[in-house]
Amino acid sequence: MISLSDVSARGGSPMTPAMGLFALLLLTAPFWLEPIGLYQYLGIEIAIWILFALGFNLLFGYIGLHSFGHGAYLGIGAYAFGLFQQEVAVSLWGGLAVAILAATIAGAIVGGFVSHRRGIYFALMTIAFGQVFWFAAIKLHSITGGEDGLLGIPRPDLVLGPFEFDISKNGTLYWFVAIILLISILALWRLVNAPFGRVLQAIRQNETRARFIGYNVWLIKWLTFTVSAAFAGLAGGLFAMAQESAYPDVMSLHQSGLIVMMVLVGGGLVSFWGPVLGVLLYFIARDIIGGFTETWLLWFGLMFMIMVMVRPEGLSGLIHVVRQRFAQAPQNSITPADTPEGA
Amino acid sequence: MMELVPHIINGLTLGLLFALIALGFTLIVGVMEVINLAHGSLFALGAYFGLATIGGDWFGSTGLGAWWLSLPIGMRYVSAIIIGPLLAAGAGMIIEICLRPTYGKVPLYGLLLTFGAALVVEEVIRLVWGTGEQNLTVPQAINGAFLMGGLIFSKYKFFAAGFAMVAIGAVWFFLERTPYGAIIKAGSHDSEMVRALGYDLSKLRLLVFGFGASIAGLAGIILSPIWGLRPHVGLDVVIPAFLIIVIGGVGSFWGAVLAALLVGMSVGITGAYAPAWSMMSMYLLLIAVVGVRSRGLLGHKSALEN
Amino acid sequence: MTLFKVENIHKRFGARVVLEDISLSVEEGSVHGIMGPNGAGKTTCFHILTGFHAPDSGRIVFDGRDITGRSPHQIARMGISRSFQIMNLFDDTVVIENVLLALPEFRSRGFNLTRSVFDDTALLKKALGVLDQVGLADLAWHKADALSYGNRRALEIAVALAAEPRIVFLDEPTSGLGLEATRQLTELIRKLRKSYTIVMIEHDMGFLFDLADRVSVIHWGQVIAEDSPDALKSNKWVARSALGEVA
Repeated sequence: MISLSDVSARGGSPMTPAMGLFALLLLTAPFWLEPIGLYQYLGIEIAIWILFALGFNLLFGYIGLHSFGHGAYLGIGAYAFGLFQQEVAVSLWGGLAVAILAATIAGAIVGGFVSHRRGIYFALMTIAFGQVFWFAAIKLHSITGGEDGLLGIPRPDLVLGPFEFDISKNGTLYWFVAIILLISILALWRLVNAPFGRVLQAIRQNETRARFIGYNVWLIKWLTFTVSAAFAGLAGGLFAMAQESAYPDVMSLHQSGLIVMMVLVGGGLVSFWGPVLGVLLYFIARDIIGGFTETWLLWFGLMFMIMVMVRPEGLSGLIHVVRQRFAQAPQNSITPADTPEGA
Repeated sequence: MMELVPHIINGLTLGLLFALIALGFTLIVGVMEVINLAHGSLFALGAYFGLATIGGDWFGSTGLGAWWLSLPIGMRYVSAIIIGPLLAAGAGMIIEICLRPTYGKVPLYGLLLTFGAALVVEEVIRLVWGTGEQNLTVPQAINGAFLMGGLIFSKYKFFAAGFAMVAIGAVWFFLERTPYGAIIKAGSHDSEMVRALGYDLSKLRLLVFGFGASIAGLAGIILSPIWGLRPHVGLDVVIPAFLIIVIGGVGSFWGAVLAALLVGMSVGITGAYAPAWSMMSMYLLLIAVVGVRSRGLLGHKSALEN
Repeated sequence: MTLFKVENIHKRFGARVVLEDISLSVEEGSVHGIMGPNGAGKTTCFHILTGFHAPDSGRIVFDGRDITGRSPHQIARMGISRSFQIMNLFDDTVVIENVLLALPEFRSRGFNLTRSVFDDTALLKKALGVLDQVGLADLAWHKADALSYGNRRALEIAVALAAEPRIVFLDEPTSGLGLEATRQLTELIRKLRKSYTIVMIEHDMGFLFDLADRVSVIHWGQVIAEDSPDALKSNKWVARSALGEVA
């Protein structure tokens, strides 16, 4: 069995083959998306959901808190971005900062309620709170625009010191989103390999022990909930820009369930890259199976059920098994190359 | 004060309806320790099966179908109330069989599997019955409206509330006063005991899930004339069920009933003064209760937390 | 000098009184044993001393400071460490990380995001040092759940030691161990007592009497006797009520 907490031979160095491959795909996507019959906008959507999924996995996979209401924070980010553009000023950085801030505050408040809950209780409470936000978004008509949401959210220019870039076209917006995603991935990779990230995983593995070796488990869970909500807020801000609107649908139980589904299918419980695979698989299924049949969600749902039954470690687990079979070399003990052994 | 009475009655009726939705859900959570996200889909499935029964869809356009449609609506309605839940129970049992590999693992997997099942059931409904709004006809005797205290009440709502009361009483009687109930309750806390008594635990789980699913299906048939019938109706109705379970305390039978009544009352009374906010009051109630008593009204420490 | 003092601890769960009136006093540098029949309240007593439960009444004093009702992580940070009877390890990761996580230096740099955990040679050396104390240095890079039972027990102790405690609580360290492993553990604790104050719950009388300076016998939620092992052996009442059932 593999686990998220396996020690890689390269420690926390970001220079892994997976990272290289991902960066390559991300940075070349605009050149091959259309030739293979897909479209630019899909790239933006996938990049945003990857960002959301990776931030979510901090909570879901790393610390083991199984939230089922995380769509709420994406939605809050989207609304905050839109409201800022419409009510305060048309500004990219301002909008994104407000999106992150709003989701962080909401996450901090909900985290305060739920962080001492465990197991199914935690999941139920996150569902309930997710619904609170979803419902508020529908009902606070004068602020959120009700069921239709906020329409006509602009894509503000990217201002970097003296330079200004127009990112209102899908082609250019993609580059902006891709770079934000790349920076976020590097940050998350550092975070999960830093002491703090290992502590998160220690809490998942054994909360009692973590407490008895001096960690304030509640505080760390709350922090993780909040940080994860902040990433969702960032993704939400970008999503509002991509969609040029913000609507309650992304906050529904359905969407919150879908993100859990993507993360699990990809193998978020066993690999940092799991959420990425899961998001890719979902969108490929949506656009490719969806091209053949209206009921693609039926087949995706069935596949998901089988996966939960047979191979809950997801696609990453499957890849690991296949690789081991080819490598033929059992990796029972991993020794980081630069460690003084037996010292 | 007097003008509040109809709203209180309205609220109580609504509360009973909510309780009926939450009933099967709380049974499965309490006994099987599985959050059945497909509960709403089973609710919808029961309603659609009921629809098919009343409309005689099973027979197609054969002579048998024509004969069936010539029968009085009351008779067809009663057979829908029987056949719908039975078929929903069958669907529930299939879900339970799929759930088996997840027992003994983290509760997350049960949650995810039932989420997948919910998607599948919803898609199947779209495929078979289409995406449009459907209407479940009810007999004349319980249809229509009457006036009370200047407010119009629907007869059917009262019938549904009465039905909910009977269902709650029957489930309670089954769990508390019959040997089967005792075994089911033992199974939820002590699977060793159930085995020692010579009962087959997997059969027990199958039956409990089927039972919970049939209550969901029943609620679907009873309630869809009030709330309408769409493929995603499951998601709409399962949300109050979640809130009710959390407010009442996970796994607590009377907690769920109490919470349902409270929610119904708060929705009904807010409806009198600020109709736009009536549903929101349910969420505020949740935050208030959970803020004071995070385990819910009648919740106790449970194995679900581990 | 008295390092750890427990005064009149009382604890009930619902209607059941588990600890009636427990008082203990542990001298710095000593090995203090706690024994008694199953269900006497020994593990509950440990849970209270290390902050897992709060007592209903009574006082716990460590190094002159009242620590009653503090949470486990606060107590752990003061230098009180414990092992568990049922193993509580970080099973998804390697042996050395179990120890690393418990090192105070590691804890204090929890928010340093610039360094990876396994790049810090000084920390790794330190963790290996702790593993060496219990004889697990060679297995440092094996996964914790792949260890043998005896080695897992040793790791359980290593994690407790890694926190650099002044006092270590060991909950039934010999539980499930064979003769040879128990003998090795005896050696280990002989070695450890030079640097730590140790309190341990133990079923194995031979083992306990061999190592302890003082032994408290708990029965019916009370300390029914406290004395040196030799004196206890000659106490007939103890022999009848507790030791008889244990041996």
